[in-house]
Amino acid sequence: MQKKKVDVKICVGTACFVQGGADLLLYNDFLDPEIVERCEIEGSSCLDVCKHVAAGENDKPPYVSIDGKVYGNVTQDRFIKLLSEAVNA
Amino acid sequence: MLEINNQFTFMKRRLETEVIKSFFKGTLVEDVDKIPVVIIPKDRVPNRCCIYKERAMLRYRIMAMMGIDIERFDDEMKPLSAYVKEVLEKDQPAAPMLTTISTGCYGCPPEQYRVTDQCRGCFARPCTANCPRDAIDFTTGKAHINTDRCVRCGKCKEVCPYTAIIHIPVPCEAACPVGCVKKNEKGYVEIDHKHCISCGRCASSCPFGAIVERSGLFPVLKRLASDQPVVAMIAPAIEGQFPGTLAQIVAALLKVGFSRVVEVSRGAEVTSINEAKELEERMAKGEWMTTSCCSAYLEIGNKLLPYMRGRRSDAKTPMAYTGEIVRKENPGAFSVFIGPCFAKKIEAARDPNVDGVITFSELAAIFMAKDIDVREMQPADLGDDKTFSDCRGFAVSNGVISSVMRRYHGPEPKVMDLNGVDKKVYTLMKVWEKRKPDADIIEVMCCEGGCIGGPGCIVKPQVALRLRGGNKAATPVKSMTK
Repeated sequence: MQKKKVDVKICVGTACFVQGGADLLLYNDFLDPEIVERCEIEGSSCLDVCKHVAAGENDKPPYVSIDGKVYGNVTQDRFIKLLSEAVNA
Repeated sequence: MLEINNQFTFMKRRLETEVIKSFFKGTLVEDVDKIPVVIIPKDRVPNRCCIYKERAMLRYRIMAMMGIDIERFDDEMKPLSAYVKEVLEKDQPAAPMLTTISTGCYGCPPEQYRVTDQCRGCFARPCTANCPRDAIDFTTGKAHINTDRCVRCGKCKEVCPYTAIIHIPVPCEAACPVGCVKKNEKGYVEIDHKHCISCGRCASSCPFGAIVERSGLFPVLKRLASDQPVVAMIAPAIEGQFPGTLAQIVAALLKVGFSRVVEVSRGAEVTSINEAKELEERMAKGEWMTTSCCSAYLEIGNKLLPYMRGRRSDAKTPMAYTGEIVRKENPGAFSVFIGPCFAKKIEAARDPNVDGVITFSELAAIFMAKDIDVREMQPADLGDDKTFSDCRGFAVSNGVISSVMRRYHGPEPKVMDLNGVDKKVYTLMKVWEKRKPDADIIEVMCCEGGCIGGPGCIVKPQVALRLRGGNKAATPVKSMTK
């Protein structure tokens, strides 16, 4: 049975974009095409988390939402890891 | 050069955003001395030796943001609020562009190659065999580099089969193309301002953030808060630096409070036309020439290689022509160049038509302080851009030449691009005085990749390229609303 695609939203609000979020937009260059195939990746307006949370190690821009759960400090490497986990879950 | 995504960049953006926010609230004088404490709270795990040094560095960074020459006017007894009052009253002079924070400088040891424990003192010893100065001895059974003889060519490192030899660089010195970043007798960084071309490479290279640009932000913020109309002149490189299209960036600028936005590509059109004409004339005379739009390169001619002044084209820079247009069409307005470049500030100081200069990264801080999301903007009307739309390519290496060639009608010239001026390219330029280069026209861009690799940029050049118009990948993600 075809699994439901993983819903991925990359925050491209100005704050996320200028603090590393822009790099995530190149996902076609660094993600396994198989993973891309199994995700529905979209750019999203500000996810509104940056304004509310205290800045901890993993709680800073850029943010990505995967199936509704928000992750902070997402580098390209972390993005790969998070998505492969989500896809194989 | 440092990878653009790093703690220093993030800290700088955060700090700039806080200061600008407070400025627009009208409470900067009261807030400014608290900002370092707010950003570096007591319980933070420090990124320097302690939170107190981090706070002290933020204090200096705020001073640089206000355009204060830290090297000359640092008074530790004076609170930041006193500096703010001064700056609000009177604009700071533009030169020198860069200033150093000697407290922040690590005082890196001199550049050297060193043999590590990994050396096995092998039989083949390719390091000794390849050393051009006979600087390696094995008296202890392992390789040892005699620093007096070593010329730091790095051959030994290349040939060691155990990768036992490491290079210890001094990032700022290595980055400076013209050799004017040096250590003083105390071992801390010092810039020879007389010969500095303001390219900003050293500032983007220091991992401790000890070299900073004296920002031109405050004169612009002051005008934005006043009744005077402020015209934004946006450099061609702006496309791709923010999430969203060029038309959305323009809309965001209008929302910030700029009364009008003019693309510098308009001036670039004039530059290309004049350069094409000049190329035709020079080709007829059998002379070679260079482009003249890179401000840091202009400084090379002004300060270091006088013969270059006769070689670069007589065309003014796109910023200069755009300034003329704005002055004519909007007399009485304050004109601000928004670009990726540090050296433009030096050029603007000599140009009566350009009143202020800020960088993209400072503009990003303004957007964040004002809570403006570029991607949410309704696209603005870009107007009639038919004649100059191709000149937006001025921002990318090879783009200037392409624009010139499109307007050129003479015999086919030999073309060369200098994509980034580093130490080697600078040496090459010196040689050209005596030996003609193998080209009729040379495009010079001091930053690698062109202006999109400038020190005031937000994203990496490869990301910017993908997000720029014309390219299919300009919108790599589907747009969506919340």
